[in-house]
Amino acid sequence: MLNAKIPAGPLETKWSNYKSTVKLVNPANKRKLEVIVVGTGLAGASAAASLAELGYKVKAFCFQDSARRAHSIAAQGGINAAKNYQNDGDSVFRLFYDTVKGGDYRAREGNVYRLAEVSAAIIDQCVAQGVPFAREYGGLLSNRSFGGTQVQRTFYAAGQTGQQLLLGAYSALQRQVALGNVKMYSRHEMLDIVKVDGKARGIIARDLVSGKLERHFGHAVLLCSGGYGNVFFLSTNAMGSNVTAAWKAHKRGAFFGNPCFTQIHPTCIPVSGDHQSKLTLMSESLRNDGRIWVPKKKDDNRKATDIPEEERDYYLERRYPAFGNLVPRDVASRAAKERCDEGYGVGASKMAVYLDFADAIVRYGKIEASKKGDDHAVQEEVIKLGKGVVAEKYGNLFDMYAKITGENPYETPMRIYPAVHYTMGGLWVDYELMTTVPGLYALGEANFSDHGANRLGASALMQGLADGYFVIPYTVGNYLADEIHTKPIPLDHPAFVETEKGVQEQLDKLMGIQGKHSVDHFHKALGKIMWDKCGMARNEKGLQEAIKEIQVLRAEFWRDVRIPGKQHEFNPELEKAGRVADFLELGELMCMDALQRRESCGGHFREESQTEDGEAKRDDQQFSFVGAWEYKGPSSYELHKEALNFEVVHPSSRSYK
Amino acid sequence: MKLTLQVWRQQNSQDKGRFEAYQVSDVSEDMSFLEMFDVLNERLINEGKEPIAFDHDCREGICGMCSMYINGRAHGPWEETTTCQLHMRAYNDGDTIVVEPWRAAAFPVIKDLTVDRSAFDRIMQAGGYISVNTGNAVDANAIPIDKHDADMAFAAAACIGCGACVAACKNSSAMLFTSAKVSQLALLPQGGPERKERALDMVAQMDKEGFGSCTNTGACEAECPKGISLANIARLNREFIAAGFGTED
Amino acid sequence: MKWSQFFNTSIGKKLLVGATGLFLCSFVIVHLAGNIALLKEDNGEAFNTYAAFMGHNGLIQFIAWGLKIVILLHAVIAIQLTIRNRAARPVKYAVRPKGNTTSSWFSRQMAIMGSILFIFIVIHLSQFWWSMHFGNLNTISYDGGKEIGNLYESVWFAFRELWIVALYVIGMIALSFHLVHGFKSACQTFGLNHKKYNGIIHFIGVWIFGILIPVGFAAIPVVIYIKQI
Repeated sequence: MLNAKIPAGPLETKWSNYKSTVKLVNPANKRKLEVIVVGTGLAGASAAASLAELGYKVKAFCFQDSARRAHSIAAQGGINAAKNYQNDGDSVFRLFYDTVKGGDYRAREGNVYRLAEVSAAIIDQCVAQGVPFAREYGGLLSNRSFGGTQVQRTFYAAGQTGQQLLLGAYSALQRQVALGNVKMYSRHEMLDIVKVDGKARGIIARDLVSGKLERHFGHAVLLCSGGYGNVFFLSTNAMGSNVTAAWKAHKRGAFFGNPCFTQIHPTCIPVSGDHQSKLTLMSESLRNDGRIWVPKKKDDNRKATDIPEEERDYYLERRYPAFGNLVPRDVASRAAKERCDEGYGVGASKMAVYLDFADAIVRYGKIEASKKGDDHAVQEEVIKLGKGVVAEKYGNLFDMYAKITGENPYETPMRIYPAVHYTMGGLWVDYELMTTVPGLYALGEANFSDHGANRLGASALMQGLADGYFVIPYTVGNYLADEIHTKPIPLDHPAFVETEKGVQEQLDKLMGIQGKHSVDHFHKALGKIMWDKCGMARNEKGLQEAIKEIQVLRAEFWRDVRIPGKQHEFNPELEKAGRVADFLELGELMCMDALQRRESCGGHFREESQTEDGEAKRDDQQFSFVGAWEYKGPSSYELHKEALNFEVVHPSSRSYK
Repeated sequence: MKLTLQVWRQQNSQDKGRFEAYQVSDVSEDMSFLEMFDVLNERLINEGKEPIAFDHDCREGICGMCSMYINGRAHGPWEETTTCQLHMRAYNDGDTIVVEPWRAAAFPVIKDLTVDRSAFDRIMQAGGYISVNTGNAVDANAIPIDKHDADMAFAAAACIGCGACVAACKNSSAMLFTSAKVSQLALLPQGGPERKERALDMVAQMDKEGFGSCTNTGACEAECPKGISLANIARLNREFIAAGFGTED
Repeated sequence: MKWSQFFNTSIGKKLLVGATGLFLCSFVIVHLAGNIALLKEDNGEAFNTYAAFMGHNGLIQFIAWGLKIVILLHAVIAIQLTIRNRAARPVKYAVRPKGNTTSSWFSRQMAIMGSILFIFIVIHLSQFWWSMHFGNLNTISYDGGKEIGNLYESVWFAFRELWIVALYVIGMIALSFHLVHGFKSACQTFGLNHKKYNGIIHFIGVWIFGILIPVGFAAIPVVIYIKQI
């Protein structure tokens, strides 16, 4: 049985008790302890900076050309915090409750409560760093609402909140680089974990410019390498986002938690053709003002603006009157898929629904006109004023939509469709964020911990920064306090030599295949299997087929992939090949996990487990556990269960009606 | 549509480099510029040739990784648009498109269209931060900030560090990049305590990296995908003057 | 930062270029105001008296020498910066933006216009200033007063030659093009960029320094030439 090491005592005092009793490392000893941080997104950059501030010697790695490019930068909408600045009844408990409920009761209470507790401090820290959050005229911070909640607790910086938060963490990191406390390795990719006597003691990394392998020692290793949504090929992730670091750790003994829990975001720009390389998200904040609808008639080919009001089906408002267009992501996504599958989809592909701002434009226009004392403004004037307000709120998103689609979203409704966005699953970690490998930690999206089966909007940024700024600085100390006598392990230690040899062999093997198909060819094929059979809806038969298909595809990949260029040079195709090789293994595990979880919960929808009106049906009797998989060899995994005990929140059927 | 591409190919930083011509057909107007490169690269791989190396990551215009100089324009012809957001409807059948890497002594070519922009990181290391350790912060609403200033700080902070300003400037100057960060932090009260050192140190580092000086042509502002304003450069100049005249050592 | 370091940074040098540039801007106003007297057909009394005053007043002589140093400083630092700017892009682009799409033509020609202007200034000085101070200028006396140099006569004489007039017009075109961008640019370097005042700066830069003053200067040789045809 897995031990999550949740501190004893009431929920409200677990974290403070932990902090008060955890082992500490004195400053003189911190200087002797080295920590490796892989990935420089919100979790990685904040962790690397915070640990360096404490005095640890940190080495940070990212595959991009600069730490500032990590994909956290693309998060648009905002970051939640239980500040209750709006006086609308928010509290740490409510944020905790919303997150557990939003995650469909598949997250740990202890972790989520801690997340809610530290959320307020994150906002303070970011403001102190100079993050320019949106403000009201009085000079105080502004909030907006987000899906799955009924309070306004989301802090934001236009539609670029992730960018601003990441640049804040990045600047803290750069400061530590300048002070010599962090050594930064950009354009470096971690390709394996080095274990000595069962503990994580370093990594093998490839310098992506020279192609040379490097050995790096650390007393502890932190994986902050993000999620694995790119297993679907098409996702809102960056092109380079990958599972390699987490997967290599998994193969070295770290359990993988809930791999099948993926989040399909409801509002993305639909696929336009075979050339599509990625999908672009339209922030969830748009659902504050946009109304989602499809025609009431099947195969209605009229222009959106030609369809009269009474012939439109605002299906979210119809099905979920209490939350309407602001239902959580998983619910909104499935509802869109349901309408499209039934033949009500719009656009050329018929795989899209409308997100319409016409009402919001009129509503805001009237308010603006009224502010000017003109309660009887003509419609044109109202629309003009309304467009101004909408442009102020969402201008950058509207512009982006127009560039990609060539359509003007102020005039005609946006077409949107769900797309893979985030992975709640990840490396299994205990309360201290340590994986099942001692000394190996996973933070941010790379771990499985806080979002259960579905993540609420504006919670990813919160979790990444909570882990990096406020959790790991305490918990890593608890481990390192016992490591003060461990001298740096020389890089010619057999463990380093052996591990590097294994990495080298895989690279040689990949370069040696010289087959017929590009890496992308295999990646696209894998993506299609995953999307069709392990995507928004899953069933027994499909998953079983998918597992077989992936195995066949993987064998083909290792026989027939073609990687041009050489190993010891800048070779993006070789980088991609290594990542796709890992996705080809992960995909199989995701299907296995989806197969064993014969219930519907959050983003995981098993067609066999639904209510009569098509809502997800959870099975708390049998599946109230975290599925943590242990790697046992090729295509061989063992499932370990961590039971989820709900002491405070009582799982109920999640209703947004 | 059918297009002719003239693409800069350079094996590594030592190689001299040259243009190579490629014909691409079946280009859809819904493709992004980089997706056209994906299609071309797929073909090159199938033909047993080396694909064109170019930097890209988020493909939604925010990470700042993509960096192509297209027909004489940084990030191509669309205003306030990164290369990854540029779509092929910007072109007509039969067009010739010349694609070059960012060119600056401070941005050496790594391969083909990929350049090394680590100079920007070093400028940031010289002072592009507020020295506040984790846990030191006061309550976020304890520091009210004029909304106008906050908005201006945000507009400056929107810089994605792509380097288009340097690429577009006839002097390869990094003033817009440097000034965006100096401005953001100068506009906020939190940035106050370090503002003098910040301006002096970041400019000194910028010079050290081998960027040219600003001659106020405005090309950087015109090509910036995030619309960072020249007013930031003026603000950096003010900060620099105040710091240079106002510090004791 | 020490002064030596401060003025060796790129911005520090630009401040020197900007400061010297603005000083020269103020000079051209004074210079034009005095030279307008050349157009007065009073046998040179007003102009020659003015020139004699300027040539013998100690303070003005001091400023005049300073002026030459300022011109040299302006040019030398600008050349230093230009060398640095060229070095910042060792490999040039194959394609450049068309016309004024990303920057104004004037802003890109500062070095060329400055060089033309510098050559013009050297010629101009050797022609008139040199002959006045070290050459054999005819003298003239008005109303039985002191004999003073008749610079007026030599100016009028010089401007009978079409090529000299053309040279002056070219010089003033260079001045115009240099200042259309130069004035605004100097303001920007000093941090003067403000929504409310940018209009005024633009107006002064383009209309006063870019048009009014160069046209005023160019009018002198042209008018004198026409009058002597």
